[in-house]
Amino acid sequence: MGTAEESLSDQGLLRLVWAQRAMPALAQISERFERTRPLAGLRIVAALHVTAETANLMLVLRAGGADLHLAAANPLSTQDDVVAVLAHRYGIDVQARRGADRATYDQHLERALATGPHLVLDDGCDLVGRLHTTHLDLLPAVRGGCEQTTTGVLRLRAMSAESALRFPVVAVNDSGIQQSFANRHGTGQSTVDAILRSTNVLLAGRTVVVAGFGNCGKGVADRARGLGASVIVTEVDPTRALEAAMAGFQVLPMCDAAAEGDVFVTVTGSRGVLAERHFAVMKDNAILANSGHFDLEIDVAWLRAHCVDVHPEIRPHVDEYLLAGGRRLLVLAEGRLVNLAAAEGHPPAVMDVSYAGQALCVEWLAANAGTLAPGVYDVPTEIDDGLAMLQLDAMGVRIDTLDTAQEAYLTSWRNGG
Amino acid sequence: MTQPIGTDYKVADVSLAAFGRKEIQLAEHEMPGLMSIREEYADAQPLSGARITGSLHMTVQTAVLIETLTSLGAEVRWASCNIFSTQDHAAAAVAVGPEGTPENPSGVPVFAWKGETLPEYWWCTRQALLWPEADGGHTGPNMILDDGGDATMLVHRGASYEKAGVVPNPDTADSEEFEVFLTLLTESLAEDSQRWTNIAAGIKGVTEETTTGVLRLYELAKTGDLLFPAINVNDSVTKSKFDNLYGCRHSLIDGINRATDVMIGGKVAVVFGYGDVGKGCAESLRGQGARVIVTEIDPICALQAAMEGYQVSTLEDVVETADIFITSTGNKDIIMAADMARMKQGAIVGNIGHFDNEIDIAGLPRGGAERIKVKPQVDEWVFPDGHSIIVLSEGRLLNLGNATGHPSFVMSNSFSNQTIAQIELFTKNDEYKKQVYVLSKQLDEKVARMHLDALGVKLTTLTKEQAAYIGVDVAGPYKSDHYRY
Repeated sequence: MGTAEESLSDQGLLRLVWAQRAMPALAQISERFERTRPLAGLRIVAALHVTAETANLMLVLRAGGADLHLAAANPLSTQDDVVAVLAHRYGIDVQARRGADRATYDQHLERALATGPHLVLDDGCDLVGRLHTTHLDLLPAVRGGCEQTTTGVLRLRAMSAESALRFPVVAVNDSGIQQSFANRHGTGQSTVDAILRSTNVLLAGRTVVVAGFGNCGKGVADRARGLGASVIVTEVDPTRALEAAMAGFQVLPMCDAAAEGDVFVTVTGSRGVLAERHFAVMKDNAILANSGHFDLEIDVAWLRAHCVDVHPEIRPHVDEYLLAGGRRLLVLAEGRLVNLAAAEGHPPAVMDVSYAGQALCVEWLAANAGTLAPGVYDVPTEIDDGLAMLQLDAMGVRIDTLDTAQEAYLTSWRNGG
Repeated sequence: MTQPIGTDYKVADVSLAAFGRKEIQLAEHEMPGLMSIREEYADAQPLSGARITGSLHMTVQTAVLIETLTSLGAEVRWASCNIFSTQDHAAAAVAVGPEGTPENPSGVPVFAWKGETLPEYWWCTRQALLWPEADGGHTGPNMILDDGGDATMLVHRGASYEKAGVVPNPDTADSEEFEVFLTLLTESLAEDSQRWTNIAAGIKGVTEETTTGVLRLYELAKTGDLLFPAINVNDSVTKSKFDNLYGCRHSLIDGINRATDVMIGGKVAVVFGYGDVGKGCAESLRGQGARVIVTEIDPICALQAAMEGYQVSTLEDVVETADIFITSTGNKDIIMAADMARMKQGAIVGNIGHFDNEIDIAGLPRGGAERIKVKPQVDEWVFPDGHSIIVLSEGRLLNLGNATGHPSFVMSNSFSNQTIAQIELFTKNDEYKKQVYVLSKQLDEKVARMHLDALGVKLTTLTKEQAAYIGVDVAGPYKSDHYRY
């Protein structure tokens, strides 16, 4: 059990408790789970980023009575001190080590799976994929699962479309409140944070070009405007472009915006959003950052191949590319997710919503899995509402409740007034 | 009133008085500054003996100002300072007075109606300045309350032409309005060669409401031509940083909406000038979801706009692409007819600066454009190529022309300053020379203080130690004179 040194346990505890301060929703669920024990007798295998926030989720699920086995969803994100405290202080089976090689990483997942899960928690469809290919023997015992990311949900929907998926899975990522918290507020804040930390640029009076006006783009654009920047939005989707225009942002094709911007942020989920034809017209010292999932939105490869010179790390996370003609472009975090690389990613408050959603979906699956056909399920509305309510409680915000007459009025088609 | 007023007033329709009175009562509730001044000075009657001529938009809020002045003992005659800004029901209610009836009016002589011609406008200003006497002659006011400086200008130019013994030929005027103005003074000179000289001699001072009027006053003071002391009310913090900013923020989009009902969100709006008025305009347009572009000539204001995240550009760059154009410069010739001809179909053009010379309306027909009246104060101008634009209030203050101007609460701040300035100049006249003054910081703070309760604002009080630490008195003033707020 465990793969990290016990000596790291104290440090891990500090980190775990620090995160706990900002995770009030999870704390409330934990209290209830301790009383109601909704997960008693269930074995849960989770493949998640082994961080302090995840550790708090594990403790909540254990409070609910689950038998837990945790493996890393990515060896680079594992916090070894968190592994240590979970293993040595709380006695939870954690298969993870920071920087593990591919074979070790596989072995960790295999060991966790071998315990024979009733429920699986996935972040990128790793566990579900293995169960449906190499571990068919374990499938009959599995009652359901939860998926954390967009990428994983895409794969699950593909499996479901081919009728290959053999148990119900909840797409936790798609919950309304999760989208709003994680993307709009989490990515919005942490992206601006990352640009400030890495460059210390004054945004007021500058032109910030935001590529993509989805939830992430809206969050970034609002915050940049809030700091006094003049914001230009680029879009491919007419609905979102119209949303941006109606919010008072200038909307331009990137070819036009490229010459205007002082700071560029890509949050499209697409590729090649900033490329040669844009680099060609950018101002000297333009700052380029990406907060989309993959590092393909800024064509850094082209810059590497065609620049006159490159000065890596002129500040932490800032590479300077010298172009023919003398202009310089500043690329942050090599074009990878700037909010994770140059800041701290989602704040714990965002993960609180995410993981409170996981905990409630696990509870829901434990109660309902027997009645659900295989397939991908949206987060039930009552859980979404419940998540919002938990956050409101934690923030001390009070709201109104419909009385019975109002409820009847809103639900009856006969009632005209 | 000491004198029978009989027909000594001219409004659009005196039967509107009852409606006007109801609106005045509503406004009184929203004007806590003026109401508390009435209470404070009820016994002292500091304006007893004052004969005040007012030239200021004849709105419901102004009615509360006028009745505040009379409740402090003043006699008042009034004209509007804009041909479109009068609210006819307010004018009727003021003429009738709180105690009078339309059949038997007992209010203040007011000469104002919405939609005056230029000759009518200047006739009204003149009527407000000429105080009838029992013998059929007239005297003048001993105080002026001005907005834009038209009443003050009439007295000054009148006196100056009388001294010269001749009025410039109206045909040489550079604008239609100036031609009307010179015609009036030509006639006046023929009637009485000392009229304005005598009136000027009796005037103890003027309190001026707005930026444009203040500019004129400083020019007169600079050349030594100012005939009586002036208080610049505009530059009280509780005026320019409130009325100009928050008032315009409120009434600009109100005017645009009432005139056109156009969706502002998603449009590109250009605000010319980023002073206090421009700042309010830009904020309200952005607040409705417009993308706002600012033009400026002053590098400080331009930089302020840029730091607020507005694009700063030139008319030349945006004239063909923007949807809404608002001038707020206080200068002239901002948007010329040739510029308007280049605007896109349906572009909306309006002015919120004091005078109508920011937009070259006169140039439109000269350039062959044709005017189609859509409704009062909304004109479509069709260019020879067939495309058209919308012009609001003929280029005059659109917030007053198309909506009802600033809301009462904001005007309570401005008019409290006006009233206090009138009291200052009238009661301490010896202390003022023929210069332009601003109200003391104490009085400015007093005006602000009078408005806090209504908003539920709880003020913190300095301890003696804290006051000493920053070198102020516990009771204020709290800032040095050069503090910029």
